[in-house]
Amino acid sequence: MKTVINEQERRNFASEVESKLHDKLAKCYQCGKCSAGCPVNFEMDYTPNQIIKMTELGMADRVLNSKTIWLCVSCNTCSTRCPKGFEVAGIMDVLREVAAKRGIESKTEKEVQTFHEVFLDNVKSNGRIFELELVGKYKLKTKHLFRDMFLAPKMIEKGKLKMHSDKVSNINQIAKIFKDFE
Amino acid sequence: MKLAYYPGCSLKGTSFEYETSLLKILEALNIEVQEIPDWNCCGASAAHSLNHNLSVALPARNLAIAENNGFEEVLAPCAACSSRLKTAKHEMGSDDILKKRISDSLEMPYKNSLNISNMLEFLLNIAGKEKIKSLVKKPLSSLKVASYYGCLLVRPPKVMKFDDPDKPVSMDELVALTGAVPVDYSYKTECCGAINSLSKPDVVMALTGKILYDIKEHGADLVVVACPLCHSNLDVRQREIERKYAERIGLPVLFITELLGLAFGFSPEELAIGGHMVNADKILQKLSN
Repeated sequence: MKTVINEQERRNFASEVESKLHDKLAKCYQCGKCSAGCPVNFEMDYTPNQIIKMTELGMADRVLNSKTIWLCVSCNTCSTRCPKGFEVAGIMDVLREVAAKRGIESKTEKEVQTFHEVFLDNVKSNGRIFELELVGKYKLKTKHLFRDMFLAPKMIEKGKLKMHSDKVSNINQIAKIFKDFE
Repeated sequence: MKLAYYPGCSLKGTSFEYETSLLKILEALNIEVQEIPDWNCCGASAAHSLNHNLSVALPARNLAIAENNGFEEVLAPCAACSSRLKTAKHEMGSDDILKKRISDSLEMPYKNSLNISNMLEFLLNIAGKEKIKSLVKKPLSSLKVASYYGCLLVRPPKVMKFDDPDKPVSMDELVALTGAVPVDYSYKTECCGAINSLSKPDVVMALTGKILYDIKEHGADLVVVACPLCHSNLDVRQREIERKYAERIGLPVLFITELLGLAFGFSPEELAIGGHMVNADKILQKLSN
């Protein structure tokens, strides 16, 4: 595996992550407890402890393009069990945010990334989630039009899918939050 | 004490059964809650996955509205919402600059003073075991019940400050109050796959399947949850999991509020139990025998 080329780049990336994380990468002593307990480790290309080390080594491209950061479901088992109290789930949030800000689109886990984006768009325009619109837009974007559609008739019959949206009245305030913090 | 209620999006949509049943049991418990006026989505997993500041600012608007309306306590029955509200409070508690930026953006004063409770916390601390027990008219002693906690009610412990993150007992205690028999099993706090239900259905079915088959092996008649996302994965996806692994499960998944409601003597219709995808007739019959 190719490691660091440039010490300055390494330090820039590691400190960018550390400042957003409010935690120190060197805290991790690679015991692997996070990776052992991770419920989605079987799907990942790099285990959580590898991601931490690779971030420390400045391997930005590999980390930001990894499947791992998008597969993490933020269950927090890792952070809860970490003997050093390192923000393991937190680093996944930071790396996803850095990847998104750099315009990196996940090649293998694009659907996860798209779902989050469509979800936030839905919050931005309604203030609340309109589930039918969320699912519809997600399906159009990912072109998985028929996946899960067999669930729809029964969900409608059970009254689970609402046909109208219930918007926040002060939608300008929601727009302002997005403007100030997005 | 003025009690605020933050329903969140799921309770007004796919998990309407949760809201229906919780309002019923709060009425029986004689506890009045008021919905936070003009509440907005907490941002859920999407916000914290893509934008940290937004993931604090979105729930903060709800907390600020509640605080400025004189509330002291917020009930957030959805585990994901309660986790986002608690996390926002925690983050603003340790980051004065962010707190001020949010307060300025909202143009509202904000002290960060509210106490936030998830459903189990609210029932145990605000309603209290004695009161709950006194309302049990129809003990559910014929039922064996598995409590599934999932992730966000108990993790991360430094933020949630509730129950034990590895061996939680709060929901089992509530189950025992109804007269039902709590069932012990291995995966009470294993993740169901949560938000990735639509984007990674195969992964979610593997995780949820593991939990459901384990509960089945331990002889439970049904599962109770306190999270709409857990409910959705365990209930809505159950038929598909049975097909994928070619083995029947047939476990009704109820919200803890529905189980309490049954014990309080409400009818299944009053608790919207018919709204679930997995039919609960089998256990309802067992109760009427």
